[in-house]
Amino acid sequence: MVFEMTVQTISVNQDVLAAKKQRAAEQRERFTAQGTFVVNLVSSPGAGKTSLLQATAKHWAGRFQTGVLVGDLATDRDAERLRPWFPVEQLTTGGACHLELSLVQQGLSRLPQLPYEFLFIENIGNLVCPASHDLGEHLRVVVLSTTEGDDKPGKYPKMFRTSQLMVISKCDLLPYVPFKVDEAINDARLIQPDMISIQTSAIHDEGLSEWCQFLENARAEMLSSRDTAAALGITPVMPSVLR
Amino acid sequence: MHEESLVRSLLHQVEDLAQQHHATEVEDIEVEIGPLSGVEPLLVREAFERLKDGCKWPSCTLTISVVGLMVFCNQCSGESELSSFQFVCTHCGSTSLRILSGDAFRLLNVRMQIENAG
Repeated sequence: MVFEMTVQTISVNQDVLAAKKQRAAEQRERFTAQGTFVVNLVSSPGAGKTSLLQATAKHWAGRFQTGVLVGDLATDRDAERLRPWFPVEQLTTGGACHLELSLVQQGLSRLPQLPYEFLFIENIGNLVCPASHDLGEHLRVVVLSTTEGDDKPGKYPKMFRTSQLMVISKCDLLPYVPFKVDEAINDARLIQPDMISIQTSAIHDEGLSEWCQFLENARAEMLSSRDTAAALGITPVMPSVLR
Repeated sequence: MHEESLVRSLLHQVEDLAQQHHATEVEDIEVEIGPLSGVEPLLVREAFERLKDGCKWPSCTLTISVVGLMVFCNQCSGESELSSFQFVCTHCGSTSLRILSGDAFRLLNVRMQIENAG
């Protein structure tokens, strides 16, 4: 037998993350089927993701069955802060700069198995890497605090492009910081023209009714898309505001 | 910093592909990176150099094609390349745009040596 060596170029032309994106889409379908509306909260460190969740819990006062998965490089401090309010699981990444679906799925299996109406995934504080990783969420919310500066959207375009809602947090500090709400919103909408924005102050319970109402409506839309699709025997098409 | 994990995924995919084609050697991997790929070409190259020593073909090279941000306008059906992250159609000014390329880290081509029994 004679062996002949040939050099071949195989064309692939596929996103390196294609397989992971597919798994995330499948997870999203499972969440939809269970009626769990999933929110991926992203921001820089200290923007107020955990405080927003605490304020959300106070606002809802147990009206919705809500679970939380919270990511950090180390410690379970955020989980401890949230434990009085929600069933919560800490995901420690041991240095990784973002959450991935596999970590989320591991965390899900450790959460009490309840029919959650909402699941919040608090991502690692980082406006770069988490932008590339779909966790199976219905809504990506970027939290931008007034102490960070209104020029952030343009500096972190991928994160703002891939988010559907921007929460401007710590608005009680607006009198003391050079942050222009309009400029932040305009900057975000250059990148993501459909960006919805909500202004909050977690410690003064401001903007929380708008935020909670938005989530409740979004979940209702998810459920109605799901049920309409089930009645017609087709794959659900999520409203354009959702992923 | 997530470049390393993405390059690791890339190498796994190439390894599977090489196995499928019974390749004896992988000579070159060509990837595409654009402005919204979420990876930095220099860091991808550095991660590749670090990780390829541990893979089956340490002499493999990496070719990076840098592409622009191409969009399709839902309003006028025109295509444009955006020179900044301002999502406005260069033909009609609409902001209803769909990204065609430049927002992913893509594996384009893999050049490999394949042994054929003749």
